[in-house]
Amino acid sequence: MSDQIIFENVSKFYGDVLGVNRVNLSIPPGITSLVGPNGSGKTTLMNLLTGLIRPSRGTVTTLGLTADQPEKLFKLVGYCSQFDSFPKGLTGYEFVNSYLRLSGRDAAECDELAWQAIDRVGLRDAAMRKAAGYSKGMRQRMRLAQSIAHNPRVLILDEPLNGLDPLVRSETIALCRSFSKEGCHVILSSHVLHEVDIISDQVILMNGGYVVAEGNIKGVRSEIREQPMQIVIRCDKPNTLASRFFEEDHIVEVRMHHDKKGLLIKTSDPDRFFTLMNHVALNGHKLESVAPIDDDVNSVYEYLIGGEDESKS
Amino acid sequence: MSLWLTQIGAVIRLELKKTFFARRGLWIYLLALAPVALFTVQAIVERDFKVFQPDSPTGHPISQQQMEGIADDMTRDQLIALLGQPASSHTKTIKTFDDDGKPIVIQQEDLRYYGPRNSIILELQNGVLKGRIYRGRFTFEQNSYIFAGVFQFLFIRLLVFFGCLGIFMNLFRGEMLDKSLHYYLLSPLRREVLLAGKFIAGLIAASVIFTTSTALQLFATLSVFDPNTMSRFFNQEHGYSQIAAYLGVTILACVGYGSVFLAAGLLFRNPIIPAAAVLIWEWANPLLPALLKKFSVIYYLKSLCPVQIPTPPGMPALFKLLVTNGDPISAYLAVLGLLALAVVVLWASSLKVRRLEINYTTE
Repeated sequence: MSDQIIFENVSKFYGDVLGVNRVNLSIPPGITSLVGPNGSGKTTLMNLLTGLIRPSRGTVTTLGLTADQPEKLFKLVGYCSQFDSFPKGLTGYEFVNSYLRLSGRDAAECDELAWQAIDRVGLRDAAMRKAAGYSKGMRQRMRLAQSIAHNPRVLILDEPLNGLDPLVRSETIALCRSFSKEGCHVILSSHVLHEVDIISDQVILMNGGYVVAEGNIKGVRSEIREQPMQIVIRCDKPNTLASRFFEEDHIVEVRMHHDKKGLLIKTSDPDRFFTLMNHVALNGHKLESVAPIDDDVNSVYEYLIGGEDESKS
Repeated sequence: MSLWLTQIGAVIRLELKKTFFARRGLWIYLLALAPVALFTVQAIVERDFKVFQPDSPTGHPISQQQMEGIADDMTRDQLIALLGQPASSHTKTIKTFDDDGKPIVIQQEDLRYYGPRNSIILELQNGVLKGRIYRGRFTFEQNSYIFAGVFQFLFIRLLVFFGCLGIFMNLFRGEMLDKSLHYYLLSPLRREVLLAGKFIAGLIAASVIFTTSTALQLFATLSVFDPNTMSRFFNQEHGYSQIAAYLGVTILACVGYGSVFLAAGLLFRNPIIPAAAVLIWEWANPLLPALLKKFSVIYYLKSLCPVQIPTPPGMPALFKLLVTNGDPISAYLAVLGLLALAVVVLWASSLKVRRLEINYTTE
């Protein structure tokens, strides 16, 4: 069985409206974040993966399974969608338990798994209350409990941090990490870019229904050649170093830090820059730190998607 | 197979609660109760009906046979010979004009007789019978025809029809409107199993509601008859099998209309369009060619109804066409045919449900 989630030339159109177009992805285990402005196709991608919608063209396979085999697929996949409605009249416990019963497990096993999941999201005390009376955050957590109750190998979370207080946010992030450590896929979408930056092993940047970039965030950043990389250097002789840098054709800008103990460099060729830095260090310059400042999701998002930053928070 | 049965059981458990106790389904209970109320009122009126009491010691009750022996234009003497002395009589003289405008005098006499369940007033003009007025309770036979008519034309064709529309169209469409269908579609169960579970849950709900209604209607109708009549009905006139047939037809109607409306719920957003189309199709069944008739639920149900409605002379042709079962089939074939129709419709639905997509925003 493949351990990848594969989108092969996938397009989805809602009539004349584009959902996603010509998406080719191969997602390995780990935490993968979908990032993009509203309407960029993040949720469409998740819904395609789970068969809630079908591609107009192309195929989606999850660990070798397609959405035509829901009885096998959803033993491996848990999806915490953004749909904030529960089947009528159910308590939180019934919501999780009934979902497990639908898989054909026996009552005792379902009961045990349901309570385990509810405990993981910290909702035991509220579990026997009607889900309709829950706050937004509680509903979000109960949906998360439902999606993890059967211990899936692929966990898909659509805006999982929305409506959560800081403590629960960090607990949810920890949950994602624990799934990732177990070798599972965690695919999440989020508007909170600094959190995406902290937790993601890789990102998929989307805009207007297209995948703009994918992969490890540093790798993605290095691919953006048209935006020179910004690096801050803390050292003892910034003036000497600045004059040395001016000799290099790939250095496009050098600025002195206001405390005179550092430089801001912009280079069009990071590889050559870091080779240069090795020479500089060997020549006796005392370097305190060399740190890129625009290889995070925020910067990559800014460079690739630019002004359409309404989703940034 | 056992996994599927377990999963179907899980779907049924979830669905039954929603179907029986949904606030939006309250009107279905009212539909089911409407004919019960009708027959209950009729039973109360029948029970409270006061048979005409004689005001003369010479009067005596006449039998049903005597009553059936009355013919138009019998003379007073012939009537007295047939029925005996009336319980009461009333004479009056009427002055009027003939066709040529000449004044004439008519001697009118009303003779009143009574039977065990009804009374009759015989209107004589110049000693010859010219009119009859019956007053009284329906006979058992009349009652069974009334029940058969209401059952076939009101209950099955309209009330069960619309009840099934409300229950079965909501199984998928209702969840789409509530934005909760993804709960099922994200579960590890085949879509066909989900369809089967939902159908069975809807069928249980519809059958319980409408067979209860049928049973209560039968109880109300039969409750006005004396023990002897009831004993004759059950022991000599296949009463038990008639009751079983009515209950069975109700369940089969739920199967047939349920499957049709489950499919319609997957195909249409607006229930009015399929409801109108199916309603017209069902009522136009007698006018359809023989082959097309078989694609209608009422075609099979008509042959299963235990009492055929009589078509007295003078009945309008259209009514006659609707009432008459033009090409009856055996009960065995009717049941199999209806079940086959339902299976075909459900199979077509399963093809649709396999590709069903969630698109809450357009609902």
